[in-house]
Amino acid sequence: MLRPISATTVGICCIGYAALNAYAQPGSAVSVEAQTVTRAASALMKSAEDSQAIFSEKSSSISQLGELADECSAQGWDGYDAAPIDAIALINAQNFLRALPSGTALPEFAPEPDGSISLDWIQSRYRIFSLSIGPSNRLAYAWLDGTDKGHAVAHFGGSIVPPRVLAGIKSIVGDSNAPIRIV
Amino acid sequence: MLPSGLSDHVDDEEELARFLHQSSLFTTTIVKPAALLPNPKDRETSVSRHGREPREALWEIGLAVAGTRKLYGAAVFKASDVRNAQLEVSADEPPPRHAVIKHWPWIDSDPELQKAKQRELALLISSASGPPLLC
Repeated sequence: MLRPISATTVGICCIGYAALNAYAQPGSAVSVEAQTVTRAASALMKSAEDSQAIFSEKSSSISQLGELADECSAQGWDGYDAAPIDAIALINAQNFLRALPSGTALPEFAPEPDGSISLDWIQSRYRIFSLSIGPSNRLAYAWLDGTDKGHAVAHFGGSIVPPRVLAGIKSIVGDSNAPIRIV
Repeated sequence: MLPSGLSDHVDDEEELARFLHQSSLFTTTIVKPAALLPNPKDRETSVSRHGREPREALWEIGLAVAGTRKLYGAAVFKASDVRNAQLEVSADEPPPRHAVIKHWPWIDSDPELQKAKQRELALLISSASGPPLLC
């Protein structure tokens, strides 16, 4: 559960960040200890900046999901009488995104005719991992990896991405070569 | 012979179009599997028996399907791509040139397993279809 951040916390973070930034700048210090502190501060700064980027990417994706639900809120949004996106499916999809570990590529989204939401990791037309999130706590997924293909179902409790699903995503997009968005 | 002048049987080499009325159903490289999944009401996927050309006639049909919605393009694939995925395509007029992809797996006792199986088949058609034809 996300909780509001107090102004005091924000203030401390800002001061801490500014102080860290000062230490991270290469100065005139030449001692081994000073260089070690500078390197450590630089690493911390990078980590903090990466975290901000991750938060921003996920927030953006979660917003995109909301926009998609708005666009597909009427019966027949696809021209073929599809059901509107289900409100519980939307919450489940947002929770799934929040649960995705750092370093995992974020998916593309698509509405489904029954009101569920598709999360797709597309490497090419021959390498795709596709997951369906509906109102239940079970995820339907399938993959295509060259001539290899398959499907399965996994339980999602709302906070931890099922390991088999995570392994499937990574086998398609890898840890470092995802074409879309890496967080 | 059907009122449209097409044969009752959809030949393997015939091209089929699934019109795209939602921008998140495709990328520039592929039509996403969600665009091809069946409607749970009739358990079928509607398509039109029309290929990439002539383009004007294709979009004319797409606009008729779209009604007031925007038409972005179409996924175009062959009937053999559908049959290679162990599904069937049959003529279903009216309207003219209408056909349906049917025989999707349906497991009333396990809807998620049903969806997983359908998804795998939709992926096969999606992959065979390749990039969407955009308006």
